[in-house]
Amino acid sequence: MATDHEAVDAAFYDRLRQFYSDEEIVELGTFIGFNIGYHTFFGTLKFYPMFSPDGRLVSQEESERIYGAAPVSLKGRAA
Amino acid sequence: MPHIEPLEPAQIQDPELLALMARAEELGVPDGLFTRIVARVPVYAKVLLNALIVSHGQGNVDHRLKEIIRILLARFAGDRYFSALRSKKALAAGLDEETIDAGCGDYDDDPRFPESWKVALRYADQMYLDAQKVDRAFYDELKLHWTEPQIMELGGFIAFHYSMQVFMRTLDATPLAAAAATRSH
Repeated sequence: MATDHEAVDAAFYDRLRQFYSDEEIVELGTFIGFNIGYHTFFGTLKFYPMFSPDGRLVSQEESERIYGAAPVSLKGRAA
Repeated sequence: MPHIEPLEPAQIQDPELLALMARAEELGVPDGLFTRIVARVPVYAKVLLNALIVSHGQGNVDHRLKEIIRILLARFAGDRYFSALRSKKALAAGLDEETIDAGCGDYDDDPRFPESWKVALRYADQMYLDAQKVDRAFYDELKLHWTEPQIMELGGFIAFHYSMQVFMRTLDATPLAAAAATRSH
């Protein structure tokens, strides 16, 4: 859906229906769409989780060091 | 027919969802098709439809600018459904097809748009074309023209509407009204 939406065609939906109901496909599709849209926006804002993996409240600078300044992009994954 | 069959209108009985559908029809975006598809998950349908209406029709950013941004994103997404719909509120405020096309094209050189609109259009343009360019310097430029609440309004609007467009484009859906379909790009 994010990297090659033309591959999500009628045949792909037929394949999805082998495993999921139409209700579940709508749930998945809107959830995936929402995440595509918002993670890109959030990425431009450069903010990171408030807590470290062990539950400490950390500064944004420390959080960036912990979680990484450059997460792997969908574009990078597709390539 | 979209890849997911819409519910029949009579199958939607939830009063809250019907009220939201009436509000959407008043605005013109989305038409009933979107709701009849997402109504397969009623709790999602109410949240998604309300968010589409509120983020588009309310706030402190000119609605005509939001309408151009929405169509720019839909065309970029390759979504025939949302790109063909038009906000009645924006049309009533004087937005016409020529201005929409100009806003979706070489807006940077177009004297009809103020700098504040150009940078907002670039915000939408770059978000999914090359998000790396939406960096600190870009946000500083945005802040020359917009308050931080307005920037969050724009960013949330861009992200949410693009979200639903990337879903709808996979369904190969077109608007219910034939007249709107002729505007599809």
